[in-house]
Amino acid sequence: MKFFNRFLVDVAYYLNNSVRYQHKKRFFYNLLENDEYRYKKYFDIFMSILILFSVSILIYEVKKEIPNYLNIFNVYVISIIFLIEYLLRFWVYSSISKVIMHQDEYSDLLNRDFDLLFVVKRVVRDKLEYVLSIKALIDLLAIMPFFHELRLLRIFILFRVFKLFRYAKSLQMFSSILSTKKFEFLTLSMFASMVVFISSVLIYVMEANNPNSPIDTLYEAFYWSIVTISTVGYGDVVAVSPEGQFVAVIVILTGISVLAFTTSLFVSAFTEKLEDIKEVKVVQDVSKLKSVYIICGYESIAKEVARKLLKSDYHVVILDDSKDRIDMAKKDGLLALNYNPGSIDSYKNLNINISTQVKAILCLREDDVENVYTALTVRSVIKDVYIMSLLMNNSNRNKLLSSGINELLYDKEFVGLVAREYVGHPVAFEAIHTIRSENSTIKLDEITVTERIASSVVKVSNLDNISFRIVLLGIYKKSTKRFFFNPIDDTLIETGDVLLVIGNFLFIEEFTKHLSMKTNLEDIA
Amino acid sequence: MKIVAALIFGYNEYGLEIAKNVTHKYDDITIFNLHESDNFLEHSEKFNIEHFDLSDDWDDLQNNYDLEKSKIFCALSDEAENIFLTISLRAAFRDIPIIALAKNSEDANKLHMAGASKVIPIVETSANIITDMLKKPIISEVLHNILYENSDLKIEQITVTKEEVFNGQFPADINWSRDHGIIIISIIHKDMSSEFIYSSKAKHNYISNGDILVTAGYEKDLDTFEKLIGG
Repeated sequence: MKFFNRFLVDVAYYLNNSVRYQHKKRFFYNLLENDEYRYKKYFDIFMSILILFSVSILIYEVKKEIPNYLNIFNVYVISIIFLIEYLLRFWVYSSISKVIMHQDEYSDLLNRDFDLLFVVKRVVRDKLEYVLSIKALIDLLAIMPFFHELRLLRIFILFRVFKLFRYAKSLQMFSSILSTKKFEFLTLSMFASMVVFISSVLIYVMEANNPNSPIDTLYEAFYWSIVTISTVGYGDVVAVSPEGQFVAVIVILTGISVLAFTTSLFVSAFTEKLEDIKEVKVVQDVSKLKSVYIICGYESIAKEVARKLLKSDYHVVILDDSKDRIDMAKKDGLLALNYNPGSIDSYKNLNINISTQVKAILCLREDDVENVYTALTVRSVIKDVYIMSLLMNNSNRNKLLSSGINELLYDKEFVGLVAREYVGHPVAFEAIHTIRSENSTIKLDEITVTERIASSVVKVSNLDNISFRIVLLGIYKKSTKRFFFNPIDDTLIETGDVLLVIGNFLFIEEFTKHLSMKTNLEDIA
Repeated sequence: MKIVAALIFGYNEYGLEIAKNVTHKYDDITIFNLHESDNFLEHSEKFNIEHFDLSDDWDDLQNNYDLEKSKIFCALSDEAENIFLTISLRAAFRDIPIIALAKNSEDANKLHMAGASKVIPIVETSANIITDMLKKPIISEVLHNILYENSDLKIEQITVTKEEVFNGQFPADINWSRDHGIIIISIIHKDMSSEFIYSSKAKHNYISNGDILVTAGYEKDLDTFEKLIGG
């Protein structure tokens, strides 16, 4: 026995350390269970198509014969695919090797014998937890049509429809919303069941002995009761005696209240969850963005910054703990979440890779205390993201810098600098201001030299900017991180350099295209 | 003799920042404080600090300062008071340059209506600088160095007085960067309309005396150019 236990433990450690095994298991886990995995949606669509196909065949074969190959595909191929899926889910649900390893470490620590029985109990418990879950039961029943010789089992194809719940997020959301009103629905169904039971018995007692009454059995009484309480009232089974009609009146009145109560439950469940549903949608949208600015706080400056970034087609997400400000941001057409920017959970819930998807985090609350708190929170989550923050009081400068902020923005200093330039060169100031304003057709722009451009434009003299009516203000050299104003014709242009140009924005676009096209044309030539 | 000064109304952080940034231009900087309770003693040695009220008594101002050459900054913290101050100063002095601070564009409009010659909207200015830093970081850095730091590279406005230098050439036909080592950012005509050097209009308009050229270049080249065209 000891040898067997040792063998079991060795196998468990081997599997746990096997990169290949773990990689495969992780792959299947992601494919089946991880909503964030990019290929899962394709798997879900594939399974949904199989289900719809299977159900279509079931409907078609009610009145018509189906070709044999379709029958084989439906009964065997689809069922086998479902069976494989069921077994894979069974496999990835829990790790047997981890239970064995845990027990081994535990017994080593306490100097006890390896308890195989405990391991078996634990593994069975874990796996049963999966097998007895509603989703797994539906999966199992959906495989049943495989035994097609038992004709009754064909109806189990309908369970495949229930499997759709697994693959459609909206259906999952629908059921989760209704489950929030579980208690109310239970109370209502208890009440409705009581009314149905009492009215069925009463109507049976009142009508069963009446020869003119269509209600003859308790089943007919039950059917009448359901049809009446639901306010459907087919009219095929009706009470004829005055006593029975009196019972009908009571049941109809009760039915109206049950129906109204049910409707209000649905409405209130959805109304209460509406914000959550919208939030889930925003988080989903945010997680898909590749390059995003997160703005913490939505006050006057943040509002203006967000508007300008949005206008330039940048992606912006607003986080603010004030619901009023978030409502305002949503009204302004922004992706906004009522999350506290000073909470680590907010960034976790965002479901976003900050280092790869976020361009910068802007702490734009007009309150230094809040901005320090937010910056420290962000830094505790990630070290290398670029953080910019407003500074409201100059005496807090060092505190903000030591909280990990990369760039401080002191609005009083901006005002001072603008005043300085205006006092010194008012005309030049206006000219620069005009060029930099949003509505100007003349722009001061950056053109980054790509490898493609650098391969054809070697020197400044090759740029040909004057024929595009573009002024070259200078070149920012990536290698030396220096700006060369009005560079001479022989200045070399290298990949990563940035050309600073002034001109009509349309000409700048044309010029940029020309630089990239130049390589193509020369290649063709 | 009347003093040429920067007169800053508003003893607050905005006022002090403005004061710090205009010291290179004005020998005399006076900050006017509306509320006597405010106490920034640490600055009283650097700048003249005086009290004022919003009554229409501007005799001291008129008697002591050369208001045509001085610049007035309205930077009171309270927006309503700032607008009231601007309108009072404009009513008292028709031609003085008044630069006023506004919190947002709504207040900026009111200040323009009150008679401010130039309004600096704080929110818009800050937002512009922030978005420029994000969208075009290199341009922001370069312009910041040219405009605000002590670099040799400058942006200057040069008034043309010797139009004959251009010898009947259109601005777009002159190779400014190679002939003079400077770059022309825009041309401001006598009617204050501005145009880009390569705009269609500039291609058909000669440079004439009184036009202002907004130029970027090294200090030395700008000085030489200024001497050449009159300045």
